[in-house]
Amino acid sequence: MFLCTHLNPLFSRFLHFLLKQPDQANKPTTSNMSGLDGVEHKTLKVNGINMHVAELPGSGSGGEPIILFIHGFPELWYTWRHQMTALSSLGYRTIAPDLRGYGDTDAPEKMEDYTYFNIVGDLVALIDAVTGGDEAVFVVGHDWGAMIAWQLCMYRPEKVKALVNMSVLFSPRSPDRVPIPTLRRFFGDDYYICRFQKPGEIELEFKKLGTEKVLKEFLTYKTPGPLYLPKGKLFKSSENGGASSALPPWLTQEDLDYYVTKYDNKGFTGPINYYRNIDRNWELTAPWTGAKIRVPVKFIVGDQDLTYNSPGAKEYINGGGFKKDVPLLDETVVLKGVGHFLHEESPEEINQHIHSFFQKFL
Amino acid sequence: MEKIEHTTVSTNGINMHVASIGSGPVVLFLHGFPDLWYSWRHQLLSFADLGYRAIAPDLRGYGDSDSPPSHESYTLLHIVGDLVGLLDSLGVDQVFLVGHDWGAIIAWWMCMIRPDRVKALVNMSVEFHPRNPSVKTVDAFKALFGEDYYICRFQEPGDIEEDFAQVDTKKLVNGFFTSHNTRPPCIPKSVFRYLPDPPALPGWFTEQDVCFYADKFSQKGFTGGLNYYRAMNLSWELTAPWDGLQIKVPVKYITGDLDPTYHIPGTKEYIHEGGLKKHVPFLQEVVVMEGVGHFLQQEKPKEITDHIYGFFKKF
Repeated sequence: MFLCTHLNPLFSRFLHFLLKQPDQANKPTTSNMSGLDGVEHKTLKVNGINMHVAELPGSGSGGEPIILFIHGFPELWYTWRHQMTALSSLGYRTIAPDLRGYGDTDAPEKMEDYTYFNIVGDLVALIDAVTGGDEAVFVVGHDWGAMIAWQLCMYRPEKVKALVNMSVLFSPRSPDRVPIPTLRRFFGDDYYICRFQKPGEIELEFKKLGTEKVLKEFLTYKTPGPLYLPKGKLFKSSENGGASSALPPWLTQEDLDYYVTKYDNKGFTGPINYYRNIDRNWELTAPWTGAKIRVPVKFIVGDQDLTYNSPGAKEYINGGGFKKDVPLLDETVVLKGVGHFLHEESPEEINQHIHSFFQKFL
Repeated sequence: MEKIEHTTVSTNGINMHVASIGSGPVVLFLHGFPDLWYSWRHQLLSFADLGYRAIAPDLRGYGDSDSPPSHESYTLLHIVGDLVGLLDSLGVDQVFLVGHDWGAIIAWWMCMIRPDRVKALVNMSVEFHPRNPSVKTVDAFKALFGEDYYICRFQEPGDIEEDFAQVDTKKLVNGFFTSHNTRPPCIPKSVFRYLPDPPALPGWFTEQDVCFYADKFSQKGFTGGLNYYRAMNLSWELTAPWDGLQIKVPVKYITGDLDPTYHIPGTKEYIHEGGLKKHVPFLQEVVVMEGVGHFLQQEKPKEITDHIYGFFKKF
């Protein structure tokens, strides 16, 4: 099942060439555990950690433009399987790491080691490792990966040729409002981000439910409203849309099994530590109060995504605020009937959007 | 001196005391350790006369500015955040920046992370060194100079404060400011048991100056300033995103040939043989002042004003 990981890069490239099907870009992969033929798995030492990186070379003869994919919560490199297949057959070299704390990448012990600065530090080192140091790359981000991507553009704009960001809008820093107390006041203590704050607490509750149930609930959440996780009633409230036992068409049992295996192995603490650094990130990003994003951006969100339906989001997009903060914002696309995990729900559309945007910069 | 205005500005969660005078393009002066806005008293007056608005804050932890209790609140990101907030509250988009000692380190990093806010930089005493991804900052100093090196002795909260407390503050101030000793400052505990009386005050540092510093530091303590050193390893962790990035602001660098920093092995070659220029490609001028020690803006105020003005007027 883990065939790809044991093949040396040269042989796996040959295998990829033999097995490549022209219409593979148009249907979600339903194959084996690691999901994709020809994906190379490497471990790179970056910023003091060992980072697992999945890579699909482009179909060309070398010198292909690179796309760096940054996943969110609670996902992995694997979330990008459809994009990697499609875009590398279009000639891009696609690279998707497991972020710090996730999957087969190291998960440092200290909670404070999961700030924006740690993660972006990892990714800058990764970009330098794959480009040789002097080149910019295309970037695609989703969820927490989108938040990280905004910061990457803020700190090292010259490393990013162009960005397709998904689901999570840029949020300019407010110098007077500390994030977590504000969220608590606005949404209450049961709001999922508030419930994630106390080290160890939510992990115990997740353990009681079991990894498969927890992941299934997150991955299938399609309520266009805030996520609440009341103690002892996680995912049972009707506000969360209830839990149906059937998987949606875009998430196979095999896909779910892959996520479950990795999360069972690693636990949730690393990923949840990102949330535990929200206030710390706010404190440390003081130098960028009022700063704009200076990279060409295309933003995509589903109209059923809880982020699109959060207070102020539509106004920020339609009222000009977003464009003011991101002057090189090329387009905002809202996908009808699509939820939070848009690149898994509607891969062909997302692939089209990514390629048509990045093409402009080739 | 009476013409200098003193205000308190609310920035980045602290109250910052700011000394300012004059009108025109803004020059922001950043002091070091163990210093204050007062270090720039001569430049504040001259630059006002030259048609600039000269601003010198007490940085976080010093003088009449707030001192948050935890050393974790003194990373480079915190201090640059204070200064960006200061500029925003003054409605200033871009400044001329001048830094000395710790102020120079802050200035390098302000240029690294917010180059859009800096027109040009004159930095003094401390060169820019890129982060070494394999070794934390304080660990590197310890390996080079041993655990009695002042940076290492400053690490443990409360420890060096206890040693300082054994010495009369005026004597301490005099020792800090007027020493022309170029050896790397190693200060084992024994040094504080008997500190020789410093020689008579040099012309450029009066009894009045000593009293000003002694009063402020007696009142405030040294912990705020020491916290910058205690946050060095943390800053190292947090600045990983900028590995490999050059400083892209026009720079003039000045040091005294009796400054102990200038005598750290490798420094002269680094400054004069292209090392510094590699990381600061718009480094336009380097000046080494003969017979001048660490506190050059106080030892040779007129020359320093001329050097700074000569550079900034090009922009």
